[in-house]
Amino acid sequence: MDVYFIVTQSISGFTMATLLFLVASGLTLIFGVGNIFNFAHGSFYMLGAYFGYQLVSVWKVNFWIALVAAGAGAGLVGAAAEFLFLRRIYGRAQEGGFQILLTYCLILIFDDLVKLIWGTEYKSISKPPGFEGALRFGDISIPIYNFAIIVIGLVVVLAAWWILSKTRPGRIARASAVDREMLGSLGVNVPLTLTIVFGLATALGGMTGALAAPLRSVTPGAGIEVIIDSLIVVVLGGMGNFWGAWLGAVLLGEVNAFAVAYVSEWSTLFSYLVMVVTLIFKPEGLFAPTRLRKV
Amino acid sequence: MSGRKLMAMALVLITVCLIPFLASAQEKLIRIGAMYPMTGRSGLYGMDSVAAAEMAIDEINSKGGVAGYKIDIVFTDSKSKPAYAVRVAERYITEDKVHFLFGVVSSGVGLAVTEISKQNKVIFVGTDHAATELTLDNFQPYYFRVSNNTFQSMTAGAMYLKELQKEKPWKTISYIGPDYAYGHSQLEEIQYNLKRFGVDFQMVSKYLPKLYEPDYTSYITSIIKDKPDVLVSGFWGGDTVAFIKQAKAYGLFEKMLYFHPDAGGNYELMSAMEGEMPAGLVLSARHHNNWPDTELNRKYVAEFKRRTGRYPTYAAEGAYAGIYAIAKAVEKVGTPDNTEALIKALEGLQIKLPEDPEGFTSFIDPQTHQIVQMQAIGISEPNDKFPPAKMMLGKWKIYKAEELLPPKELIEKKMKK
Repeated sequence: MDVYFIVTQSISGFTMATLLFLVASGLTLIFGVGNIFNFAHGSFYMLGAYFGYQLVSVWKVNFWIALVAAGAGAGLVGAAAEFLFLRRIYGRAQEGGFQILLTYCLILIFDDLVKLIWGTEYKSISKPPGFEGALRFGDISIPIYNFAIIVIGLVVVLAAWWILSKTRPGRIARASAVDREMLGSLGVNVPLTLTIVFGLATALGGMTGALAAPLRSVTPGAGIEVIIDSLIVVVLGGMGNFWGAWLGAVLLGEVNAFAVAYVSEWSTLFSYLVMVVTLIFKPEGLFAPTRLRKV
Repeated sequence: MSGRKLMAMALVLITVCLIPFLASAQEKLIRIGAMYPMTGRSGLYGMDSVAAAEMAIDEINSKGGVAGYKIDIVFTDSKSKPAYAVRVAERYITEDKVHFLFGVVSSGVGLAVTEISKQNKVIFVGTDHAATELTLDNFQPYYFRVSNNTFQSMTAGAMYLKELQKEKPWKTISYIGPDYAYGHSQLEEIQYNLKRFGVDFQMVSKYLPKLYEPDYTSYITSIIKDKPDVLVSGFWGGDTVAFIKQAKAYGLFEKMLYFHPDAGGNYELMSAMEGEMPAGLVLSARHHNNWPDTELNRKYVAEFKRRTGRYPTYAAEGAYAGIYAIAKAVEKVGTPDNTEALIKALEGLQIKLPEDPEGFTSFIDPQTHQIVQMQAIGISEPNDKFPPAKMMLGKWKIYKAEELLPPKELIEKKMKK
């Protein structure tokens, strides 16, 4: 076996994992804090990609500024969607079903909205200047842009972990996942907390959309194709588990990378196989703390 | 709401609903029920097909229609879902009493709708879905296809590779294409045709990522490891854009020849990639905006641009061709009501289309009901005459339509099944 190839392929898997994680992190954050299953999370990814396109390709804004702005834009839309729609169904009997129906409606609405605004043609964003080439270490080559994505992913996972576990707003957010009523009686504005978390999570999705756009095609419906893999990641990691999502993404990325290389014709099977096995033997997620099982 | 207001609203509604019937009572109409995806990933092809079909209908109706009939078309979103499209097709037949079913971008939807056409004995004109099965294994007498299928493009592709071997010796091939009927049949057909033409080659690897896979990084590094001389690609739509963007930074296109003879030369790829499109890729499509350089093609492309503000994708010409095929058949028969006579008229029908070069006219093969057209394979090169694209195809090699049909034995074997 060729060592260089194994390293190259692991890095490929890691690149895929990072983008998967960045999408899944928002999904798992909303679930962990708000107990909301946001089926439309992929649509915020798509919105971010279109915002990025508008800023970079049409208005010629600097790519990195556009990245932040696209995330902020998607986050604002997300917060508005939570404030105007989702908030109204909290606490209903069978809330889960309503969540899925409502967020599915959002998918359809956003798909048609981007079609009305930007048309159906495929759009694209160029990589920022200086990021077009590749880094070479002997036989191993990594595109600079892929490398940047990996770094950004690591920064996000560390920053999110720090905010959630070490800061007061982060603790409030986590507390709202455990007991909203108690938190409210302690004087915390729970609805506002949920709106902010929803906004942050969708901002993360939007930023990822803009970040991935130079590598992908920006089209209506682009949200659907990322949501399935992100769901697998969230299930693997344990719903609402941030580190779990990261590890789940790395597992899925690497399984996929080596399945592609060694059993290429069956490769798509493996990501689903990993999920099925997980759901059967450890339904709370591979990386969920074990004590939860005893409860 | 008061009773009076309600009554007024009801009256308005009834009137609105009746208007179409009043209009149709006065005019003799050829009724067409069209289905195209109008949302999601393939929405672009659907919207282009709608625009081109309307363009053809306006051209025909403004000259007074055919045989005293005007063409009337209804479009419904197929949602790219077979089960949904089947319901739409049934409604078209039972309620709208259409003479023709029309359209469909996905081969999966096409395979479902052709069954409805067969059961109800209503002609289905397929404008843009390429799976060969529709005109071979799943052939039925009420189905006609007016754009080339993958067998034709892969035959042209195999001929190209055979010629290339003489100029620039190559030996090994890898294949990558989507994991559904379209991707699988291209893989099978390129191998079948290379063998048929006695080409000495070795298939080193096959990759079948799922349709709409957003991330090809692992595929790219694995293909580079396989070191094929030629990478045959069967990608469709936006997947091609994503693959090329991701592969470019790895230098994949300098390491092997990228060969994509069915849909790689689609205009939407060139327009989405703009300046990032690499030169030197060998590609083709079912219609090209810059080939053939004939009066008819130039006019077609310019008129489409004038109406929509964008250049047409390949799907548009299929819909345009479908309307003209129907018009010609009705003109021959004199009425849209005699289905059996229309089938006879469509079999062998000759129809001059924008994609036909000088001296050639597309025709429908009477045995398989498949249109027979030339295939032009080109190489990507700088050309900014069709903005926002900055690359278009050039250095064309043209393959004769008659040579691209499946051999007789294969047709008989597949049709028997």
